[in-house]
Amino acid sequence: MSAIPDPVAVPAVRLENLGMVYPGGVRALEGVDLEVQDGEFLAILGLSGSGKSTLLRCINRLIDPTEGKVWIFGTEITALSGGALRRLRRQIAMIFQQFNLVRRQTVLTNVLSGALGRTRLLPSLVVSFPQAEREQAQASLDRVGLGDRGGSRADALSGGQQQRVAVARALMQEPRLILADEPVASLDPALRHSVMRHIEALNRDEGMTVICSLHDIDLVERYATRMVALRDGRLVWEGRADDFNRDTFREIYGEDAEPASNTGF
Amino acid sequence: MGNEHHLSPRPAAWRENISRAQAVALDATLITMAMLMAELVVVAFSGRRGPTGLLFSAEQILDLLHYGWAAVGALVLALIWNLFYRRLGASPGRALVLGIPEWERDLEWTHTLRGWFVAVFIELTFFAGWLVTELDLLTLFTKFTKAADIVRGLMHPSSSVLHEGLVLLVQTIFLAFMATAFAIPVAFVLAFPSARNLTRGSATARFAYTVSRTLMNFVRAVEPLVWALIFISWVGIGPFAGVLALWVHSVAALTKLYSEQIESIDTGPMDAIIATGASTLQVLRYGVVPQVIPPFLSFTIYRWDINVRMSTIIGFVGGGGIGYILKPRVDLGEWGEVGTLVLLIAGTVWLMDIISAKIRERIV
Repeated sequence: MSAIPDPVAVPAVRLENLGMVYPGGVRALEGVDLEVQDGEFLAILGLSGSGKSTLLRCINRLIDPTEGKVWIFGTEITALSGGALRRLRRQIAMIFQQFNLVRRQTVLTNVLSGALGRTRLLPSLVVSFPQAEREQAQASLDRVGLGDRGGSRADALSGGQQQRVAVARALMQEPRLILADEPVASLDPALRHSVMRHIEALNRDEGMTVICSLHDIDLVERYATRMVALRDGRLVWEGRADDFNRDTFREIYGEDAEPASNTGF
Repeated sequence: MGNEHHLSPRPAAWRENISRAQAVALDATLITMAMLMAELVVVAFSGRRGPTGLLFSAEQILDLLHYGWAAVGALVLALIWNLFYRRLGASPGRALVLGIPEWERDLEWTHTLRGWFVAVFIELTFFAGWLVTELDLLTLFTKFTKAADIVRGLMHPSSSVLHEGLVLLVQTIFLAFMATAFAIPVAFVLAFPSARNLTRGSATARFAYTVSRTLMNFVRAVEPLVWALIFISWVGIGPFAGVLALWVHSVAALTKLYSEQIESIDTGPMDAIIATGASTLQVLRYGVVPQVIPPFLSFTIYRWDINVRMSTIIGFVGGGGIGYILKPRVDLGEWGEVGTLVLLIAGTVWLMDIISAKIRERIV
């Protein structure tokens, strides 16, 4: 990827005046400016419908923003299409709230699909991957503690396990940036840390930049290095977890909101 | 793919006018039908007799109706109803095109003009239907004796055609199998451009969708019997013509079933594969295909089942299979032999039904 300049010199993600109006006229984002430095763990806060998912999906162009520009490691992804867009997407892994595994395939094949961006087309169409990729997929599964489940069908696993497979798939992709869209919102609260810790490890040990939307302030304080908040599609707050207090909470979630008792203020 | 949300400016005014025109056209059609059916019922019960002194037959009554006047009158009524919809309540067409307005949602049907219209419309449909199809229960229950011969023959199947019948039954099953098998790859490939959710991305994709859908709808609209006649004059009488006829029809039918299945997939896994930087074919292979294979198999087996039934009819016109020897025996009134063949067909269809149901149960 010689087209991508030195990672130290440029931010991992830069959003400029990003806006999104869905067909039918619903505005999801408006005038979002944001820079995410390489190596950061950025949390995005906000109510349901505040535009968090749309923002994340505009970054890897699962959705085409209607206004503004997005740069990924210095390359403007909003200007790309076809093969160039797909090559840049290899650098950006995504983890979804609903895991989005291919349910009828084995866990190992699901992990291997993370490597699709770099595998040859014809062998991949008959699910034939090089031995090295298979070993790497096994190693990714080992890292999330599911090394013995490679042969199981994906839908035979519990929710927490499925999300760990999704983390392994993201790891397999060897990205420089990970987008995580409410990765633990559909999991039992007791299992949230088991998934978040693996995402944290990718950030800490592999140096991957993480942008993660979260509901739970506890998790934000525990894992994020920086946080931003969206409200009605606008960026309303930006800061460190320590700066967060009752007033900022009201600002983000509205006057009627009440922090859950375990948030500490 | 992945670029599904294309924003186009929406001039609301002309769109709304089109919707209004659609509502009026729909209402005019419905009211025309209601008026014509009412006239039909009135004429039928008025006791008027035709020039021969006999009661009118259904065809004669249909010939008498005032189609033009009904259409004009209905158009006027539809316009009035749509202009004064606030006072009269939303018309059926308006309710279908633009939705039922907020303030009418909680009303009982008896409290709206639309409700009464629909009720009368349904009643009229039954009355008119009864008259047009000349239902005659009296004849049904009193004139059984002629048919008794046939039933007696069917109940006493003759063994003289058993051998020939069995041989052609095997041909019938193979005929249906080959038609289905050759239809699978073609329908599989056509299903992707025929799925709306995969063809929003570009103008080319939308064009492919329109072409594929239109073509398949046309092919499916033509009865297999007609396809059989075409192919019989093409490749000659025999099972090959039958295979081709059923193949063409199966391609169209399977394409529709397959593509509807693709349209109902969970797009989540597809998004996940797109996000890895995979190419379009890889996205289809990993994000779409695993989700649709079991239903595809199920549809295909069901289609084979249908093709076995259809191939007997195809045989009637010369498309090979058991229907080919059934036709002359029906014409000659050899009911014993007909009975044998009908039992063979019924037994096969019954078996296929059970087997295909079992297999589909296992798959899905």
